[in-house]
Amino acid sequence: MSKAMLIDTTRCIGCRGCQVACKSWHNLPGERSVFSESWSNPRYLDSNNYTRIIFREVAKPGKDLSWYFVSRRCMHCLDPACVSVCPVAALTKLENGPVVYDDYRCIGCRYCMMACPFQIPKFQWESAVPLVRKCDFCADRIAIGLAPACATVCPTETLVFGERKELLKEAHRRIGAHPGKYYPEVYGEKIVGGTSKLYLTPVSFEELGLNHRGFRTDLGNVPYGVYGREWMSKVPWVGLGVGGLAVGLYYINKRRAEVQERQSPEGKEE
Amino acid sequence: MAEKVEKWYPGVGKLTPGRAILYVILVLGIISAAARLFLGLGATTNLSDAYPWGLWISFDILSGVALAAGGFTMAAAIYIFNLKKFEPLLRPAKLSAFIGYLAFIIGLFFDLGQPWRIWHPMVMWNPHSVLFEVSWCVMLYTTVLGVDIFIMALERWKKHEWVAFFRNIYLVFLVAGIMLSTLHQSSLGALYLLMPEKMSDLWASRAIGPLFFTSAVIGGMSVVILESLISAWAYKRQAEIKILASFSKGLGIALLVYFAMKVTDLYARGATVWVDDAPHFFFYLELFGTVALPAILLTFKEVRNSAKGLYWAAGLAAFGVVLNRFNVSLTSYGGYRQFSYFPSAMEIIITLAIVAGGILIFDWGTRYLPVYPSELTGKAS
Repeated sequence: MSKAMLIDTTRCIGCRGCQVACKSWHNLPGERSVFSESWSNPRYLDSNNYTRIIFREVAKPGKDLSWYFVSRRCMHCLDPACVSVCPVAALTKLENGPVVYDDYRCIGCRYCMMACPFQIPKFQWESAVPLVRKCDFCADRIAIGLAPACATVCPTETLVFGERKELLKEAHRRIGAHPGKYYPEVYGEKIVGGTSKLYLTPVSFEELGLNHRGFRTDLGNVPYGVYGREWMSKVPWVGLGVGGLAVGLYYINKRRAEVQERQSPEGKEE
Repeated sequence: MAEKVEKWYPGVGKLTPGRAILYVILVLGIISAAARLFLGLGATTNLSDAYPWGLWISFDILSGVALAAGGFTMAAAIYIFNLKKFEPLLRPAKLSAFIGYLAFIIGLFFDLGQPWRIWHPMVMWNPHSVLFEVSWCVMLYTTVLGVDIFIMALERWKKHEWVAFFRNIYLVFLVAGIMLSTLHQSSLGALYLLMPEKMSDLWASRAIGPLFFTSAVIGGMSVVILESLISAWAYKRQAEIKILASFSKGLGIALLVYFAMKVTDLYARGATVWVDDAPHFFFYLELFGTVALPAILLTFKEVRNSAKGLYWAAGLAAFGVVLNRFNVSLTSYGGYRQFSYFPSAMEIIITLAIVAGGILIFDWGTRYLPVYPSELTGKAS
């Protein structure tokens, strides 16, 4: 039942139609483009940009320059760290895939931004009463049976929306059918317990130079929320233990002091 | 109210230069705080998507709570371990702990994007979240400390039957305070369990919870010593060097335990310790300069028995706890992004104003409440 998106970066032509569709559907303001050392535009995800295409030029010695396009957005983890850490449960993972955010619960503590292993949640820094913003997998569209805006406009079927299980099967089929074309690993299949975005890349993310820019490969396969939940499962016992110990020691030491006081006038001790 | 006079210290109540400076900082802070509320975090701070947590989290929250651990540490030592000789240190410790937690809450209020929703964790629960637990513990513990202060006020107002009532049920508050402190002091460290990949190896430890707890005990103890010495100096009283000398032995032991824990943790994780770069410099400063050095200093009898020695040892230890919190929350995070962070003037002013306000409330509290033992014996409550 869990929906997902297969992102086959080898098919992407870098048209940025997904960025435009995302802005239209979410009613986000446009902004003036600026020149930078990269073709990527905008330069960073922020509270007005939920998705962007990263343009990578990778030069290998003795070979031509390779150009790669990698769409970046919320990974919609199966067991998201942000959902786990939010103190007011403003973030939730929906049954059908999207990780969504409740404007009316958030207190703006920004722990989700700290905890997200992909650095996805962004803050409305320019606002006096800011909220967190990120890709919501077009949860409202999915709810009425539509595909997310970005997948709907993608002209090259780079972004394919569907059932996670089937998309995984398709991803592995493509890897098997075209050896050499793909890096033989689906990013998002297992990382941090699996995500709802599944990436196929021509080379590894290390080679793309993105393993420190949002696509870390050293995250392991354990969902990060587990670390917090493990701690929280111990909290009641530690609390009870410390409380019990404190009460016990209080009475023992009080009694000991009383006994000592009674003994000293009799001259038995000291 | 006629008794008010008997608690007047020389020079008290006058606008001394020290107090004037504190008031100026406080006013500047209130102006900055208003600007922060109306203009937003982006306009007034240097926080960004790359550094969502900055000076306020590192200092007001993490360091403040650790330094305010004196309240529960002293209560545990005196009531649970029955070390009655330290009793004269208890009430100032409680007062400063209460002020420390108030500072935490005010600091958090200005740090939150939606300050007016600060009460949300009370009704919107996520029992999986460490921060949810911390917010509940801090709420409850501040209440416990508030009750403590209220009992002092009741003594001041000579409501003896009420004081007796609270004394009878005091064990409940005592145990609750120790429980809540143990939990949230360690859980503040556990907040960082979820970001191992963003942190430097030097601080990203699975044992960060127990490490935070132990260093909070150190922070609490060293603040108790410092505050006793400083208030003796400020109010021109005799410092209780004898009690402090004995108490500082405990601080020395806590420092040794913490040092052993740190080294064991680093060794067990196989962290790369000997590297020549900025994070490692702060790491060496923390481990050797502010944990090992004061521990060694406190082994000398001459240090423990002199105000100057105690100032240095406790000062280094307290600074070390603050440095550790900054290291965990900022230094450790530095290698992760190509961006850097340094707090804006307004962030610094608001933090200074919270500290200044805390000192002013403490000053007022020591005058108004029966905090120091000389007043207690005089009243025979």
